[in-house]
Amino acid sequence: MSNSLMRVDNLKKSFGGVKAVDIDNLVFNKNELTSIIGPNGAGKTTLFDLISGFQEEDSGEIFYKDKNITKSQPYKIARLGMVRTFQLTKVFDRMTVLENLMFAGSDISNDSLFHSLLQFSKQKNYENSLEEEALRVMRDLNIEQMSNSYARELSGGQKKLLELGRSIIRKPDVLLLDEPLAGVNPKLSEELLEIIEKLSNDGITILMVEHNIDAVMKISERVIVLAEGSVIADGLPQEVRENEKVIEAYLGGSDD
Amino acid sequence: MKFSIKWIVTLLLTAFSIYMIFALNPVGQLRILFNVLTFAGIYGLAAIGLNVHFGLTGLLNFGHASFMGVGAYVTLLLIPHAVGREGQINETGLPFLLALVIGVVSASLFGLLLGLPAIRLRGDYLAIVTIAAAEIFRILVIDLESITGGVYGIINYSDSLQQYRPNFIEIFVSKYNLNAGQIWIGFLSWISIFFVLLLLKRLNSSPWGRALRAVREDEDAVRALGKNAVWLKLQSFMLGAGIAGLSGVLLAFNYGSLQVTLFVPLLTFYIWAIMILGGVGSLSGPIFGSVIFWVIISETDRLASLIFENANGQQLAGVRFLLVGLLIMILMIFRPSGLLGKKEELLLNVK
Repeated sequence: MSNSLMRVDNLKKSFGGVKAVDIDNLVFNKNELTSIIGPNGAGKTTLFDLISGFQEEDSGEIFYKDKNITKSQPYKIARLGMVRTFQLTKVFDRMTVLENLMFAGSDISNDSLFHSLLQFSKQKNYENSLEEEALRVMRDLNIEQMSNSYARELSGGQKKLLELGRSIIRKPDVLLLDEPLAGVNPKLSEELLEIIEKLSNDGITILMVEHNIDAVMKISERVIVLAEGSVIADGLPQEVRENEKVIEAYLGGSDD
Repeated sequence: MKFSIKWIVTLLLTAFSIYMIFALNPVGQLRILFNVLTFAGIYGLAAIGLNVHFGLTGLLNFGHASFMGVGAYVTLLLIPHAVGREGQINETGLPFLLALVIGVVSASLFGLLLGLPAIRLRGDYLAIVTIAAAEIFRILVIDLESITGGVYGIINYSDSLQQYRPNFIEIFVSKYNLNAGQIWIGFLSWISIFFVLLLLKRLNSSPWGRALRAVREDEDAVRALGKNAVWLKLQSFMLGAGIAGLSGVLLAFNYGSLQVTLFVPLLTFYIWAIMILGGVGSLSGPIFGSVIFWVIISETDRLASLIFENANGQQLAGVRFLLVGLLIMILMIFRPSGLLGKKEELLLNVK
C-alpha cells in the first residue's frame, strides 16, 4: 500500500494481567480522517500513548513514514510531524493564550538559550512573524478576544480550542486527537467538527478517539473499533455501524 | 516596572525594616545596617538562583546550600589559602577572577551531575534527591579533610579578593568607622544582583523563558509539542546552580573563614523563606524579601529582649525562630504569593 503513512505491527501492551492493547497489524493512510471508537477501557488512549511515545510497548513495532519510531522519545516523534492532544486537556494554565500558541509554534533553535542570549534581533523578527501566525490561528478558531487571558481562565471548550490551535500552529502531518469533543457544548462541537474537517481537507492526516458516535459517523472516512485492546471492525463508517460485533460490543441497541 | 500597590507596600515594608535597625539600636546602627545589607545581598542572590529553579521552571530544589558550597569550595581551593587543623598553607593559586569563574561553572556542573539522573523525577521526588545530594556533599567535604580541611575548614584566603578593594570604600569606611572588608563584599554582592537580574529579565521575557514556564505548567504537553523538556529543565537547573555558586563564594569571603557547617539544610530553608517572602516567580522579589528577612534575623533578639526583660541569650534565640515561623505563617495566610508575586501565577497552591 503506497498510501500508507503509519504502520503498527504486533503491538502489545498490558497492565498487570489486563491486556490494554493487542493489535496484529494496522495501517493508517495518508490524508485519511480515521476515528477510533470502542467501549471505555478498550485501549484507545493507550494506543495513542504508544504511538506518540508516552508509554512504552511490551512488544511490537511502530513505523512512521517508513521510520521505526518504536521506543522513541515523545518529543522526537512530535518533531517528525506527529502532534497529539490529550483526553484531559493540557493547556499551560499560567501563560496567556498568545504565549501558549507562540511557545507551541516556536522552533527549537528559537527556544534555545543561545538565541535568547546572543541572537536578539534575529529572534525578534522570528517572534514577530510567530505572533502574526498565532493571531491567525486564534482568528480561525474564534478565540482572538482571549489572546491576553491566562489559559486557566478559559472555559472547557475554549481550552479544547486552544489545545487544537497549539497543534495546528506546529503545521503537523499527523494529528492525534484524544476526545476533542468531550465536555463541549453542542454548538461548539459543531464548530470543532468543521475545523477538524477543514484540517483534513488541508491535507493533515487525522486520527481521532471520540465517543460522540454521530459526529464520528458524520466526518470520518474510516472507523476502527477497538474492544479489549483488539481491532474488531475496521472500514467505512456505514459498514462499521451495521457490523453485528460492533453493535453488540459497543453501540448497543439503544442510543447511550 | 509597574508601580502598583504591591510595589509601594514592598518598598514601605523594606524601608520600615531598615528603620527598625535605627529604632532598636542605640549605638552602632550603621555597622548593623551594613552587616544586614551584606548578608541580604548574598542570600538574596542565592534566592534569585532558587527562583530560577522553582519560580520559573517549577523544580523543587531543597539542596540549594550544596550549590553554594561547591562554588565556595572550588573557588577557595584554587586561590592561595590555608587549610585543615595545622593550617597547611598553599601559597600558589590562580588569580581570583579565573578561580571564581571555575567555581561558578563547577556549581553549574554539579547541578548537571545531580540533574542528569534526578531531573526526570517529578516534584517531591526531585526534592528528596536534592536534600540527599546536599547532605552527601557536606559529608564528603568533611571526609576529604586533606583537601577541604574537613571540619577545620579553610582560612587565609581573603586577600585574593580584598586586594582589589577600591579606594572609595576606604574613604567611606574611615568616615563611619565600619568594616571595610565586609562593605566591599556587600558592594560586590549587590553589583552581582544587578547584573544577574539584568540577565534574568532578558531571559525571562525571551522564548527560552517562555519554554521554561511551559515546562513548569505541563511537561507532557511540552513533549507532545516536540520540545525536549528534560534538557530545558537541566539548563534551568545549571543556571540557578551557577548563581547559587556565585553567592556561595561571596558568603565565604564575607565570613573570612570557611566552615562546612555553613552549608547545612538550614541555609537552604532560609533561602526558601526569602524567596517565598519576596514572591515566587517575581525576579526582583527576593532582594526585598532578603532585606526584610535579615532585619528580622538580626533584630528579633533586641525586640525580644524588650518584651522579655529577663530572658537569656539562648531563650532569645528561640524567640527568633518563633517570630520567623510566625511571619511565614501570617504570610501564607494573608499573602501566599509573597510581596511581589503575581496572584495569577501563584505557585504555592496546594492541591
